[in-house]
This record gives sequence, C-alpha cells and structure tokens, in this order.
Amino acid sequence: MSYSTFNRKQFDSMKEPMFFGENVNVARYDQQKHPIFEKLIEKQLSFFWRPEEVDLSSDRKDFQRLAEHEQHIFLSNLKYQTLLDSVQGRSPNVALLPIVSLPELETWIETWSFSETIHSRSYTHIIRNIVNDPTVIFDDITVNTEITKRADSVSVYYDRLIEMVSLYNTLGMGTHHIPGKGNVEISMPTLKKALYLTIASVNVLEAIRFYVSFACSFAFAERTLMEGNAKIIKLIARDEALHLTGTQHMLNLMASGKDDPEMAVIAAECQEEVRNIFIEAAEQEKEWASYLFKDGSMIGLNAQILGQYVEYITNVRMQAVGLDACFGTKHNPIPWINAWLVSDNVQVAPQEAEISSYLVGQTDNNLDDSDFDDFDL
Amino acid sequence: MTSTSKQGTPSKDQVHRVLLGKQQFLVTEDEPLLPQLERAGIHIEYQCREGYCSSCSIKLLWGQVEYPFEPLAWVHSGYMLACCAIVKSDIEIAFFHE
Repeated sequence: MSYSTFNRKQFDSMKEPMFFGENVNVARYDQQKHPIFEKLIEKQLSFFWRPEEVDLSSDRKDFQRLAEHEQHIFLSNLKYQTLLDSVQGRSPNVALLPIVSLPELETWIETWSFSETIHSRSYTHIIRNIVNDPTVIFDDITVNTEITKRADSVSVYYDRLIEMVSLYNTLGMGTHHIPGKGNVEISMPTLKKALYLTIASVNVLEAIRFYVSFACSFAFAERTLMEGNAKIIKLIARDEALHLTGTQHMLNLMASGKDDPEMAVIAAECQEEVRNIFIEAAEQEKEWASYLFKDGSMIGLNAQILGQYVEYITNVRMQAVGLDACFGTKHNPIPWINAWLVSDNVQVAPQEAEISSYLVGQTDNNLDDSDFDDFDL
Repeated sequence: MTSTSKQGTPSKDQVHRVLLGKQQFLVTEDEPLLPQLERAGIHIEYQCREGYCSSCSIKLLWGQVEYPFEPLAWVHSGYMLACCAIVKSDIEIAFFHE
C-alpha cells in the first residue's frame, strides 16, 4: 500500500479508524467521527498569538544582571525547549499524516504542529533579544550531551514509526531485511503498537517534559525577572495544555476500543511499556533538574523541589490516561505555578479580558430598528 | 458563556454537601466546584480552568454533577473536572492518589 495525496476510492470516512484505514481524500468537516478534534482545532485557532507581540527589552537588562549559574539555568531550559519544539514542529506531520484516516484528525495534527512552529520562532525571538550571538546557543543544542541524551528519548518512537510506515508503504507487510538493522517485521499489530507507543511518548513530551522549564521561567518571573519571557512561556504552556488533551483523547479512544477494536488489545498489551515511558521520562527530567542546578539553586526552586514537582505532575498525567499514579508525591510542592499556568488570564488586549479565546469579527448581522429603541441621544 | 440558569428557579439557592475524606463542605449551584473548594482552603490541582487540560480531574465516588458546556478534556467514568462541573446533589469526592 502506498500513500496517495487524494485517495480515489469511495468509502465512508465515518467508519474509518483514526489511523491505518483509508488515506483521507476530501477534507470535509460537515460530518465527524470524533468531533473532539474539530473542537480542538477551533480552540487552538482562537489561541493564535505571535512572539513579536511580547516586548522583551527589559529581559535583556534582567538577563545581564542574573548570576552566572542563573544564566546557565535560563539558557539551558531555552535550549531544551528549542529541541522539544523542533521535534514537535515537524514530527506529528511526518509521522502521523501518512497514516491518518479521518479528515478532522488530519487537520488537528496540522494545526497542532503549526502551533509548535510558533513556539520555535518564539525561542529565536527570546534568544535574539537577550544575547549578542544566538549562534553560540543554537549550535550547542546538537553537541551538549545533556541535551542530546534527551533528543534520543524524545525522537526514538517517532523515528521507529516513520521507518516502519515507510517500509509498509514501499514493501508492504512481511519481514524485511534492512541492511544495518536486521529483520523488521511489518504487520498491522506491529505498526499499531509502534503508533500507540509514539502517541504515549508524545503525551509525555508535552505533558511532563516541558514543565521543568516552565517552573524555572515562572520562578524568575515571581522575582519580577525575565517577565517578557514568562509571558511567552505562559502562551506556550496554554498551547501545550491543549495539545496534551489531544494525545490523551487519542490514547483513551484507542484503549477504549471504540475507534478500532484491535487497538484496544494492543493498548492493553502495551500498558506496562507505557508506564515505563512515563517513569523513564520523569527520571530523566529529575536528572535534568540536577544538571540545571549543578552550580547553584535559584530563590524558591532547587533540584529537590523540582524533582518532587516532576513526580507530582507525572502522577496527574498518568491518571489522565487511565494509568495508576506511580510516585508517592501527593501534593504539588510549588502550587504557585498554577497561577502562572492558568489560561483565562492570558490577556493581550482589554477587549479580551473576559474570555481568553476572544473571537475576532464576531458581529451580529440580525439587527433591526427595534434593537436601538433603548438608545437615547 | 451565556448563563442558562434563570433567576428565581428553585435550583438557584440549592446547597449541597461535598464529602472529601472526613471533611464536609457546603456548595451551591452558582459556580463550579473548584472555586468553592478553594475558598474553603482545599488545594485542587488546576491549570486551564476551562475544561481542556484535565489537571483538575478528581474522583467522583457518588452523586450528580453537570457541565454547563461539554468540556474538551476526556472525563473518565467515575471522575469529574472540578473547574467546570456544577454540583447537582450531595456528592463524595476523592483525589486520585488517595
């Protein structure tokens, strides 16, 4: 089976599974198998923002006044986030678009991935504004071992799925001998397993891996430092909270069997592996926190507190996909972070104060003279 | 969000009991559970407060809640989203880790 950009078969897309059914042909949204993805698209579009809207001129002065170990914390987090969004800006498209079978889900994947490219552009905006030579920072991302270690774990499931799907598209089902890799078995169950694990690892990326960085950015802002950066991170966090709902829905729909009965069997078989993906990521994030604070802590935050927060947030995220919490941390050690993560006070203009997803151009055309009866001049 | 509740309907001043372990709180139907529990000094994890991030998901052991609008987050059976659920009867809740 090879991918077609406009599948000529006639079929009822309402009966297709989310993935590995027919390639999508008509991009139509008048009927939807899973309307949640259309709602996510609308929400994401209502969140649209641009990094240039946020003024960073005082961040430059703040940054120069930070102690050296605080600059290390700030820049390392930016590098890690740049890595994560580099992956997320392309991978949902590359890995999932060739196998998606529902128009609303296809468009959600594109909308989701696009919003990640805004995040990537905002890191350049931040870095350009606080240092004279951004190259030094960007170049370090591919050589710094602490970052590259993490690059391996965030990309391994995506890369494996992409490779298997490309074998499936070119060679079809069967066991194929790939030079340098040995035998690779391509069957529907192995493809679906690779997909399920990929979605789980993406959920972990967006629901856990970003949060150490978020906590540090907001801890600086609590001291009224790097506040422009915090405003941007708040917008990124709002997007990521929406994205994690997208992957939670995919995982829960798959596990429920409502979408594809075979996927429910695979989800049950993979439960232990998925648990381990969460636990392994949490351990890596705790290690990352130690690396950040290797030369000294910052006011209000240290490696131990951040480690407890990672455990706490991992418990919250595991429970959201139907897994038992695996860490003993029962309380959020930094509850002040929620006031920064809340999206209803993300505000860029006064008319948007009441509702964060303010819609532009929502005028009422159904007016007649009687609507002005109350007006006195 | 346009409010659909009419003034003067019997439900407006209805008070319900919320059990959480050995604690008990009285809540109204005027606003979701989360802000009412916060005022009572109970910390519930939250993030978006708009029903899409699922951070405020808690166990609903028994009782009725309603959502004025359908939340975007997946709500597992036996759970509720504190940020947007209106309590409609006496209920018992628990945190996920208890």
